Amino acid sequence: MTAEETRLKIGGTWTERADGWWLSVSAASIQKIARTMLEAEARFVAIVALSEPANAMRLSWHWDMGGTLLSAVSFLAEGINVPSIVEIYPGADWAERETRDYYAVTFEGRKETPTLMLRNGDKPGAFLRTSGDRL
Amino acid sequence: MSYNIPIGPYHIALEEPYKIEVECEGENVIGSSLKVGFNFRGIEWLAQRKNITKSIALLERVCGICSNVHSMSFCMTLERIGNIEIPERGQHIRMVMAELERLHSHLLWAGVASELIGFETLFMQIFRLRESVMDALESISGNRVNYSMNRIGGVNRDILDDSKVREVAHAIRAVTEGILIPLLTTDQTVIARCQGVGVLTRKDAIAYGVVGPVARASGVDSDLRRDQPYLAYGKVDFSVPVQTAGDVLARVVVRALEIVESCKIIDQVLNRMPQGPIHAGEIYSVPAGNAVVRIEAPRGEVFYYLASNGSDTPLRVKVRTPSFANIPSVAAMVMNNTIADVPLIQAALDPCYSCTDR
Repeated sequence: MTAEETRLKIGGTWTERADGWWLSVSAASIQKIARTMLEAEARFVAIVALSEPANAMRLSWHWDMGGTLLSAVSFLAEGINVPSIVEIYPGADWAERETRDYYAVTFEGRKETPTLMLRNGDKPGAFLRTSGDRL
Repeated sequence: MSYNIPIGPYHIALEEPYKIEVECEGENVIGSSLKVGFNFRGIEWLAQRKNITKSIALLERVCGICSNVHSMSFCMTLERIGNIEIPERGQHIRMVMAELERLHSHLLWAGVASELIGFETLFMQIFRLRESVMDALESISGNRVNYSMNRIGGVNRDILDDSKVREVAHAIRAVTEGILIPLLTTDQTVIARCQGVGVLTRKDAIAYGVVGPVARASGVDSDLRRDQPYLAYGKVDFSVPVQTAGDVLARVVVRALEIVESCKIIDQVLNRMPQGPIHAGEIYSVPAGNAVVRIEAPRGEVFYYLASNGSDTPLRVKVRTPSFANIPSVAAMVMNNTIADVPLIQAALDPCYSCTDR
């Protein structure tokens, strides 16, 4: 399956940018998207979390197909749980654990979510707690 | 009855701290778990509190081997948001630095792997060769590790005399083609230690999302320099070595062949080096926006995401290094191998824990 066929199969309105193709999605649909990506042999690349104003969060999942970046982005309220894609892409394990460490996002469906970069027992959300002074 | 062996965080095979706990039945590994984060420095957090000029120096310190690729990727992300055009000469100089860095990284790895295999003489010969790359990098930048070459819109220093770089690229290509590749592919010690060891199938390579030489050694034919050309990579001729065995030997061979390709690229870039400026002027901020840039670093794809609100300080800097993508696949590689092969299997990833932990 090509990147274009994969986009068509996933559906929705994709936007082409200089860095690849982007799609706004509901976080609830991310497992379905991940399954289609795996079928198409897309490589999982990364999860990016970003704090938005008014306690909102932007979360994006990124895949590569033959050099083309396919990104699914979701806006959600802070504290909302998001489905895990680890059962589909084991390579997403560290990305989810790191996102929890930094932004306290809870990924549902995992057996456990141990810290990755923080120490055992540290409270998740290190980047949220420390919106400190400019250095 | 199975038993667990903790290895690390201070390590028998690698200089950097990380921990792997292997579950064994007799000599055979039947499970493993990994622990990283010992080098966590919060570089992304810091970069969201410094101005972008300061952050170039900060991000160059993500990795002690591929330092240049991080400052370059950071600058290229800002250049993409700001729609800033890099002068052609600046692009070519960035390519020379990137390929020299690949040579130095691959030779470092080949040396470490030789020592792990028990081939001390080869280790010393490879490190002698690697020294010459460091000398070439020093002749351009004045530095051997953090080169400070990148700025937003180009590079800080010109290559005024390319003779040292040419000489090094020719010497490395001759030794790699004449000695290294024949030796690594025919020597009985190397084959006995590497063939069929630490196999990662193509299917697992995709599921784990591995990148770079690790992916290419498992039959995944991908290289961003060819698939999504940046700088002037679309204008030079090079091959992307791919192997299908997915074992340690395949990773050895892919990296050795990539050394030759990097030498070819350096030669072509120096031959076609255009005249003109090396940067686009003084740039201290970019407009509001966000962008992703991906670069083929020595260990594979580096992913940079940056969001800007138009000030001189980024809202978000996300760095996904190749080792972060590659290390989890150790769990699949060590399964059903002997405990004695675990250090070599890990080293065959060419892992960098400073990159991973950031």
